[in-house]
Order: sequence, then structure tokens, then C-alpha cells
Amino acid sequence: MSKQYLTLHTVDQAHPAEIFSLAPTPTTLLSASGSSSLRVHSTVDANFPLIQTIQDAHKLGCHHVATAKGGLGNVAASVGFGGEIKIWKKKTSEQNDEFALDWEIKPTKTSGGDVWAVALSANEEYLACTTSDGRIHVWDLTAKELIQTYETGARGGGSFAMSVDLSRDGKFTASGHESGTVYVFNNDAGRMVYSLSGLAKPVRAVAFSPGCKRLAAAGNAGIIALYDMEHGEHVGNLTSPNARPAWVTSLDWSDTGDYLLSGSLDGKVKVWEISRGVCVATHSETEGAIWSARWLPKNERALAPGMGKGEMFCAAGASKSLTFYREATGL
Amino acid sequence: MSSDSTCPSPSVKSPDTFITTPSDGPLSAARNIVSIPRSNSDNGALSKIEDLLESIIDALDTGSELVIPFRRPRPDAASQTQDLSQQRDARQVEVVRFPGRNVQEAKKFEALFRIIELSHEALLKGNVITKRNIYYQHPDLFRSQSVVDVLVDNLAFTLGVGRRDLNIVAAAKGLIAGPFELVMLDCSVQNCDQPGDVGILLPCIEAIDKIAFNSVRWVLVIEKEATFRTLAASRYAKESQAGHGILITAKGFPDLATRKFLSVLHTVRPGLPLFGLVDFDPHGIAILRTYQYGSKRLDHEVDATIPDLKWIGIRSHDIMSHNPLNADVNLGNHSQSTQEWSIQESQLCTRNGSQIERPTKRIRVHKLQDPGDVCAPLTPNDRKKGVEILRDIRSSTEHIVENEMQQMLELQRMLMLNIKAEIQAVDDYGDLTTWLNERLYHECS
Repeated sequence: MSKQYLTLHTVDQAHPAEIFSLAPTPTTLLSASGSSSLRVHSTVDANFPLIQTIQDAHKLGCHHVATAKGGLGNVAASVGFGGEIKIWKKKTSEQNDEFALDWEIKPTKTSGGDVWAVALSANEEYLACTTSDGRIHVWDLTAKELIQTYETGARGGGSFAMSVDLSRDGKFTASGHESGTVYVFNNDAGRMVYSLSGLAKPVRAVAFSPGCKRLAAAGNAGIIALYDMEHGEHVGNLTSPNARPAWVTSLDWSDTGDYLLSGSLDGKVKVWEISRGVCVATHSETEGAIWSARWLPKNERALAPGMGKGEMFCAAGASKSLTFYREATGL
Repeated sequence: MSSDSTCPSPSVKSPDTFITTPSDGPLSAARNIVSIPRSNSDNGALSKIEDLLESIIDALDTGSELVIPFRRPRPDAASQTQDLSQQRDARQVEVVRFPGRNVQEAKKFEALFRIIELSHEALLKGNVITKRNIYYQHPDLFRSQSVVDVLVDNLAFTLGVGRRDLNIVAAAKGLIAGPFELVMLDCSVQNCDQPGDVGILLPCIEAIDKIAFNSVRWVLVIEKEATFRTLAASRYAKESQAGHGILITAKGFPDLATRKFLSVLHTVRPGLPLFGLVDFDPHGIAILRTYQYGSKRLDHEVDATIPDLKWIGIRSHDIMSHNPLNADVNLGNHSQSTQEWSIQESQLCTRNGSQIERPTKRIRVHKLQDPGDVCAPLTPNDRKKGVEILRDIRSSTEHIVENEMQQMLELQRMLMLNIKAEIQAVDDYGDLTTWLNERLYHECS
């Protein structure tokens, strides 16, 4: 049985350039684009109004923005094309909660290669970032210091680390590489535990399930590989038959871990049901690339009368627009 | 080459076959002849050179030290990291003295003096000398061609004139081909429609009197010589579906002569569209930008930019085969990507292999391939260069023009995907014409 998702709202031209990354908090959605500003839209209002624009956040544009999955949404991290990381913290003012710059990690402070992907731990205390020469740095955001560096090749000779994720329990770090390999590190032991090379082509997205038992990885191979984190076994692939696989750019688990959201360069957004291993919904409102697709945390109440409390997600990319979808329930 | 001091002029026809006067009337109109405006403005290069020589002779008379002012543009002078005092330093007049502090300086003085002397002579006689020729006058003194190149450009910079104002030019590097003619100042005619794959060596613009455009409708500026040769050999300039055109290449990074030629072309024929064909990598974009906005080292040269040069390819959508544009401009030879893919198949191959091709009329089958097959990952240097250009675009002006917005977007996509691709990525077993027909037809109509 397929699920139905409806286009709920589209914020046209949300950015003046392509949107490369999305990061939700319980009440907002942060977006980053090829332009220099970050934008924050409210997700608790059916019109998804723009509530904050952070001007000149990254002069050369911003390719990654991250919030903590399952976190409070008080911290965000963004990485610019210039290689700088900026940490934003929510400051409560009279009218609005706004993000303000807390700390900047200059490119010179990270050794080896440009900083690329970024992820935050669920407790919003740690940040993992990858570099173009295959390293993964872990920063302590409270002490503002580098606490761990994982190497994936001979010093500085690792394959470009294109994606990164931290498990919600804080136990694992995973990185997806240009070489097609996915590495999983045990944070307590401070060492690599699995090297998973099944995809063979560049891995552009990695994501731990909310229960931290599974890892999903995808990229140029066009299929989504699922790995079990207890033994590092490959437990399955998510593929759609009769369709040309496009490069997958984005992966996100729903809060329950039942569904996986994927976005790809051919403009398609898909919802996969994990238990049956099938695609239950496909959306392609746009022909331009989808760079990022994210579930929005579930709301306590319906956004508008008659809308129900179904799950929502947002997709963005080359169209420069934010498209919000909701599950069609009881119709 | 070393013996001639003027611009090279291969394939010279007898002047009688092509004499044009304003009274040519309809014939002239059909040939679409345009005169190249001569810049008669005397910016005083000769008098500046003579002042220099005079001051040296005066110094000889009085027995004081011989001095030639000599400055060099700092390539990083415009970069933001420098503070103002450093920028002022960059503009400070330096000098070369004789006998100087050491042997090197004495030699430099002699080399510089030689160049001034040769330039003076060329200016007096009204002819042109090539940098190559200067080098061969005194190979022992100059030691290498690059020494001459640097001295000449810095001398021009110091005097506040263009290299050409000193009557010094670079040996031609660019190649040009197409069904049109160049009428030279000496009344010889160069027919650019030559058999073979090399076209003709691009003469310097100052030696050209008129250009007979005939029915030329477009100009294609090509990054790579190999691509130029392939297109020239297939007579693409004559047989394109977009009509007659001009092919031109500067063999990589563009030289001043090619840039000036294009700049003049655009001035005399503003309606003639100019297209740039470069690799999809940061280096290709840097080359495109040099054609459009010039280079930092030769910033003192004027009339050498073509901001209107349109970037025809290759772009990210050319290599991402799902691109809808591919299907739109397919000139009717439309074929949909209908092949279904087995998911288990890890090797994605093109299905062009099964195509039976006829040389004249053929059905284009879109490459059903994974973009990864035609791309290579960016190297660390590519990524660095890419970020450098982004920074350059961002810092140049407050308002970013549409051209640069496009470059920024493509650079960001390159960095996001970590891919690059050569022009060959869009060809069809070495045949670029199908792709070019689509693009040029689309752009010219």
C-alpha cells in the first residue's frame, strides 16, 4: 500500500541561489544556499513565514547546515564554501527566538583539506565535520576544542569525506566517502569499527536510524544501502525497479524509524518503508536537482483546521524554493 | 619566424583578387566588409621612450649613475588580504641602475635598454617587432623568452601604455578558421577558410585593415586546440546547422593578441554573438573569465576584454544526462531515454554502442549514462582554484552581473558534486558537432 503525501505549501524563491542544505528544529527550518545568507522559516504556521535572515553568514555561499536530530533545536552549525564553520545559538528575545553567532571555526583551525559536511550530536554538545582529504574532526562545542580526529587514509591521503552523521545515542560517527566506502567509528573507543565498501561509488549521504541500530548510505550508485550497526552487516538495499537510478544527495529517517526520505539529482523525493523495503511515495515537482530533503519534527497540534497531525517533510534544491509536504490522512 | 619583424601572414592571396573600395557597392555588402578602426590616438609612447633615452644620455654626459624607472604590477595587489600601505608599496617606482649594485642589475639594465632601443626603432619606422624577435636579437643577454616577456610587459606598465603602443607584439599563438577573409594593411588577403585542421595563425589586430565577414553568424571561442582542430577538420564553421561561423582558439590560457582580436571583433560587429567553449572545471572558468574580464598581470592593457562572451558550455546540465534541456533543443531528432535499468547492474554503460551510424543523416540517441562515467573528481588544487574564483567574483564588485552569477552557481555545483568534465564529455565518439548544433542553433535563433 502506498502512502500519499500532498504538497502543503511552497515558498517560492526562498533564496536567491540554489538551496544546498536544510536543517529543521522543532519549530523552524533553517536553509542554506549559494548566496551568503541563511534563512529561518517557521514550521508551526501554515504559511511557513520567513522569521529570520542571517545576512552575510558565509560570503562565498553555504553548502551545509545542520541541527541536532531529536535535539532541542537551540544550536545550528553551518559550513561555507570558504571552509569556515559557524556555530549559531538560539537567543530568546521578546518577540522571537533568533539564531545568533556563537563561535566561528576558521579554516586555518582545522588541519588538512577543506571542511565539508557537518553533523551535531543529539545533545547539541558535539560537532563532527569532514574534510576533503578524508578526515573527520570532532569538536566539543562547550569547551570549544577539537577532541578527536579520525583518519581514513594515510595522513592526509584519505578519500574525500562527502557526508557525515552522528548516532543519536552518541555512540557512533559515520562518514561516506568519494571512494564509495562508508566508515563507522566508535566514539567511546575512539576508533574505526566498520569499513563498508558495498556501494563502490561516491557516498553523498549517510544517516543513522533514530534507534541507532541501522545506518543508511547512498550516493552515485543510486541505491540506498542499509547496514546493521551491531555487526556491521549489509542487511539490504532500497531500490526502485524500472527506474533509472539517479545520484542520491540526501537521506533522512522519520522519527519512528519506519520511513526513510531520499532526495536525488533528478529532482525526485522518495519515501521508503523500511519494513517492506519499498518506495511508498515519489514526488517530482521539479526537474532541477534536489540537494536536501528533511522530515519536520512532529507537531503537537495540527497546523491548520482539518489538516490532521500527519508527518511533514520539506525538499529543496536547484529550484530555490522550499516545498513542504504532508501526509494525507483519513481522506 | 625569427627573421620577420611583422606579423606572420600565411596563405597570402594576390591582392588583385580582392580589392575593395567603398564603390564596390553590392559586392561589398554581400561580403559584409567592416573596416577595423585605427587607434590614432597618440598616447605618447614614443615621446616617453625618447624622454627615457634622453635622460640616459644626459646622465652619460654628466657622468652620473644611469637610471631606468621600472615597476611591476603585483598580481596580488588587488587581493583583499593586503593592507593599504602594502598596496602603496606595490605602486612605488622602482628603478634599474647602471652599473648597479651587482652583475644581475647591470645585465638587467642592458636587457631593458636593448628593448627600449628596439621599441624606439620600431616606433620611428612604424613597424612592429615581436617579442620572439627581440629575444633572438640577443639570446645570450636575455637568456630566455620569458625574461623578454616580463621585461616588455613591465616596461609598458611603467610607462603607462599598452604593450602594443611600444610597437611590440607577441608572436601569434591563436588559430582561426571559418568562411571569411581578413584584408591586411598591406592589401594582402588572408582567406580563413583553409582545408585541413589548423585554420590560420591569427594575425595581430593592428595588421588587419578590414574583415569580410561574408555570411558569418556566430563566433566560437574554444579553450582547447585539439577541439578546435577536430572542428576545423570537419569544416564545422561552414557546415554548422546554425549557419556560417568563426572558430578561434588561443590554445589554452588566452594571449593578449587573441583577446584584442575578439575585443575588436565585438566592437565592429556588436550584434555578432560570441560563444565560449571551455572545460567544466575551475581552470576552464578561469580561462572564460580571462576572455571576459582580463587578467591581473595585464590589467594595464586596454581593449582586451569581452564581457559579452557567452558561456555556451560545458555546464553541469550538459553532463547530468537527466537534464530536460537536452530534450528540448533536440532539433526534432528526439529520442527519449526509455531504457530500463536493472538495479543489480553495477556497470552502467552507454547504449551508443548498439547504434548504427550513417555519416549524413542520423538519429541522435541520448547518452544513457551515469554522469560519473564522463566526470573526474576534483583534485585538491581544483577545489582550491574553485574557491579562489568564487572569492574573486565575490570581492570584485558589490553587484554581481548575471554572467558571474552563472559562474558562481556552476562553481558551487562543481564543489558540491566534486566533479569536473572535459569538453569531450559531451561528444559522441569524438564528434562534438551534434551537441554544438543543438546549442548554437538554440542560441542563435
